[in-house]
Amino acid sequence: MAQPLVKKDDDRDDEVEYSPFLGIEKGAVLQEARVFNDPQLDPRRCSQVITKLLYLLNQGETFTKVEATEVFFSVTKLFQAKDLGLRRMVYLIIKELSPSADEVIIVTSSLMKDMNSKTDMYRANAIRVLCRITDGTLLTQIERYLKQAIVDKNPVVASAALVSGIHLLQTNPEIVKRWSNEVQEAVQSRAALVQFHALALLHQIRQNDRLAVSKLVTSLTKGTVRSPLAQCLLIRYTSQVIRESSMNNQTGDRPFYDYLEACLRNKAEMVIFEAARAITELSGVTNRELTPAITVLQLFLSSSKPVLRFAAVRTLNKVAMTHPMAVTNCNIDMESLISDQNRSIATLAITTLLKTGNESSVDRLMKQITNFMSDIADEFKIVVVEAIRSLCLKFPLKYRSLMNFLSNILREEGGFDYKKAIVDSIVILIRDIPDAKENGLLHLCEFIEDCEFTYLSTQILHFLGIEGPKTSDPSKYIRYIYNRVILENATVRASAVSTLAKFGAMVDSLKPRIFVLLRRCLFDSDDEVRDRATLYLNMLEGDGAIVETDKDVKNFLFGSLDVPLVNLETSLKNYVSVPRELAVSLCIVQCLLAYSHVFVQYRFKNLQTSLLILILLPKEVKSLPLAEKKAPGKKPTGLGAAPTAPTSTVDAYEKLLSSIPEFSSFGKLFKSSAPVELTEAETEYAVNAVKHIFDRHVVTVIVDASDAEEFTEVSTKPLRSLPYDSPGQTFVVFEKPEGVPTVGKFSNMLKFIVKEVDPTTGEAEEDGVEDEYQLEDLEVVAADYVLNVGVSNFRNAWESMGPDFERVDEYGLGPRESLAEAVNTVIGLLGMQPCEGTEVVPNNSRSHTCLLSGVFMGNVKVLVRLSFGIDGPKEVAMKLAVRSEDESISDAIHEIVASG
Amino acid sequence: MLLAVLIANSEGNILVERFNGVPAEERLHWRSFLVKLGADNLGGVKNEDQLVACHKSVYIVYSVLGDVSIFVVGKDEYDELALAEALFVINTAVKDACGKPPTERLFLDKYGKICLCLDEIVWKGLLENTDKDRIKRLIRLKPPI
Repeated sequence: MAQPLVKKDDDRDDEVEYSPFLGIEKGAVLQEARVFNDPQLDPRRCSQVITKLLYLLNQGETFTKVEATEVFFSVTKLFQAKDLGLRRMVYLIIKELSPSADEVIIVTSSLMKDMNSKTDMYRANAIRVLCRITDGTLLTQIERYLKQAIVDKNPVVASAALVSGIHLLQTNPEIVKRWSNEVQEAVQSRAALVQFHALALLHQIRQNDRLAVSKLVTSLTKGTVRSPLAQCLLIRYTSQVIRESSMNNQTGDRPFYDYLEACLRNKAEMVIFEAARAITELSGVTNRELTPAITVLQLFLSSSKPVLRFAAVRTLNKVAMTHPMAVTNCNIDMESLISDQNRSIATLAITTLLKTGNESSVDRLMKQITNFMSDIADEFKIVVVEAIRSLCLKFPLKYRSLMNFLSNILREEGGFDYKKAIVDSIVILIRDIPDAKENGLLHLCEFIEDCEFTYLSTQILHFLGIEGPKTSDPSKYIRYIYNRVILENATVRASAVSTLAKFGAMVDSLKPRIFVLLRRCLFDSDDEVRDRATLYLNMLEGDGAIVETDKDVKNFLFGSLDVPLVNLETSLKNYVSVPRELAVSLCIVQCLLAYSHVFVQYRFKNLQTSLLILILLPKEVKSLPLAEKKAPGKKPTGLGAAPTAPTSTVDAYEKLLSSIPEFSSFGKLFKSSAPVELTEAETEYAVNAVKHIFDRHVVTVIVDASDAEEFTEVSTKPLRSLPYDSPGQTFVVFEKPEGVPTVGKFSNMLKFIVKEVDPTTGEAEEDGVEDEYQLEDLEVVAADYVLNVGVSNFRNAWESMGPDFERVDEYGLGPRESLAEAVNTVIGLLGMQPCEGTEVVPNNSRSHTCLLSGVFMGNVKVLVRLSFGIDGPKEVAMKLAVRSEDESISDAIHEIVASG
Repeated sequence: MLLAVLIANSEGNILVERFNGVPAEERLHWRSFLVKLGADNLGGVKNEDQLVACHKSVYIVYSVLGDVSIFVVGKDEYDELALAEALFVINTAVKDACGKPPTERLFLDKYGKICLCLDEIVWKGLLENTDKDRIKRLIRLKPPI
């Protein structure tokens, strides 16, 4: 916020210059504003007061409602004055004061009078003020004048009306859309700005009508649009039309390309640039189309105007992502921009060069960048670091010079984000380029010798613990790690202890020496450091007290938690937010279960305490109904809802099922389906079923299995009683051939005896009425035997699975509504998890590839690649490629599709 | 949309700021961002030489004129070139109103006139007038020639 300004101007004269607004105060200015009410107006004085009011408003000063109203009413008096300068100020201050709707009425008549004035300038300004302060009702009254103004021969009046139209279109679109004819006429105006404003408004009016926009573009591209600003608009609208029409154009000719190309020869730089950019952004642009655009952009690179250089290099930077070869011609011009005074331009030039440079130019480029890095801000440096990382991955042989560059900049001054970007880059290079590993690790070691960021130190120590022991000479890292134990804060020391332990576990020759170092840590001042040292020493000394085998040690040190940390954190926070005794025993376990937490308990032999780790479950899964009977119309909403955390729901189901002695011998629960509604909504009885799949059994609520021949009913667990308005559950168990994805349909009947309950005693009467209630059928389908488990990188997973058990076949899916519908049907049929967003089919696609992953019964991983194609009469064909860890499962997936 | 026109003195104090379509809570952030941008880059830059930057999808074109620095911020159709056009007009209009590249005092002396010029150039985020002679007449309510 501005302070009262006192400024000495030493260069020009020694006289002290005071701001005309020195010591300005709102209260005093409001007092001064009373001059507006004088019978003898002093226009000069009034203008000065208005200027002061404007200054206050521009400084962020606000007026209370009362103050604003008072000033506004005073200002309206100034309409009496004939002074032109003052009138202009009055128009401005009314807009700035933005009076409320009930006050506007005071000034409306004056403005309406001005709007019909013979003085053009009154008309123009009155239109602008009215449109700023008006609402819908007033607008209908003045609409007639506005329409006239649009075609006024004075361009200032026409522009005022048109720009008002653009603003009013947001609030009163119906009214403005009626002005279409007048606006169309204004587009043909000889005045450049009128044309510009009219074109903008006309496009906004018609933007939802594709055909109208196309017609507008067709007619205007043939004619002469004079204003460069309007030309730029037209080029944008043209690109929009090209984008929308290219899909339907089968001939290969791109409509309007000639127009864009002609604009490259326009005399206004703005138009040339707009056309060049439009060409570079054409979808599927060919090299031939691109060349003239790149040529003009190259010329702009050496323009004397920074804005043009910036615009050109920004556009080329984008082109470099898709057509790097097309940009290489500009490399020499771009290299000269590295020293551009405008740092935004220099950074864009460097990142473009890094994208387009070839292997031989890397060293030269790095030399230039080194000089440049010292004088740019961190945010630009981060962009450069990221570009260098990509370059290194593109040219792995150049890792040495690029890694050296990164390590050099790592030693220089810089903020956390910048340093983190560098460390992340080095870590990625170490992971992806094996040759770079030892070199990179040493750079990181040197960095933590003098690193002010705890977070980065711990990250690097963790990474060292994983990668260091696998190098040819792990001992050389120990010094750097142990230095941390001596020199750093507790967090870093604890991290260093863990890293030392990892070296001890992995490198036998170092073990005795690591013990010596860890024993020293037992005397650390920090609890966590001592605890870690104790734990690791006990584990590594291998007397079987804590963990029994070497493998257990490594599992403990290197194994991942397998839990999303965010979920873990949330659960723990929830848990500790409720005050309770934290006694370590099974009671906690139960207590946690009651809070819907699923947990894993790691227990270590002979340790007094057990390590308790809570895992996830944001959603409550308290009730697990398999069948229930409820009062009419009172169906609980939570029961049928698909759980959001599938693993936890399965765990909860598993717990429930294993608590029932009859089911305890079935083994591990493979999958539980989402609840299937067996009754319509709002019926007398609400029943839903959940299918629980075990290796050999299916548990569900079933009464009649006539359509499911391969299933044999094993046992039922009926419900003894079900009080009114409360849920209950019943189970039926079927046996099926082991390992086979048996399918079948079951028809269901709810058979029960209704008994009256004495409201006074709460006891049921002895006699009841037998009743039946027909339920919907329940199907066990192939998808019930597949768990939808995703993979993060499908291509990697697919490659690593290998083609040994790959099965490929083609299927005709017959006529389908759309490709998307066909894709969804197959996904539903297989019950697998779509990967990488491939379940979404772009509109109007003729072909689509969908990637699915899952786990088949028996814990066998399955990956599926579906290629769809659709032809004219909507016939869909599909190629199905399956890879899995088991040949029979690949076949089974094909069978599911073939029979589905 | 032309999101903002901001004029600051050489110490970074705001003289004029006009935001369009920028939520009130973001204005402070923009103000300090622009002032810092100017402080970092405008030293030693010649009058009216335009500098350019982008921040996310928003463009900024700015220059120094006498003792004041002028920033225009825009997005979408108001990209760096359209903003350069707007800044050129603003520079010319301010210079015209003051008779020369202004000292801060001169700028404040002509404050009312400059506000009128800005009102003619940018209206609620849209570029309205670009011709300096026309603007000079319009602020005196004289019709353009």
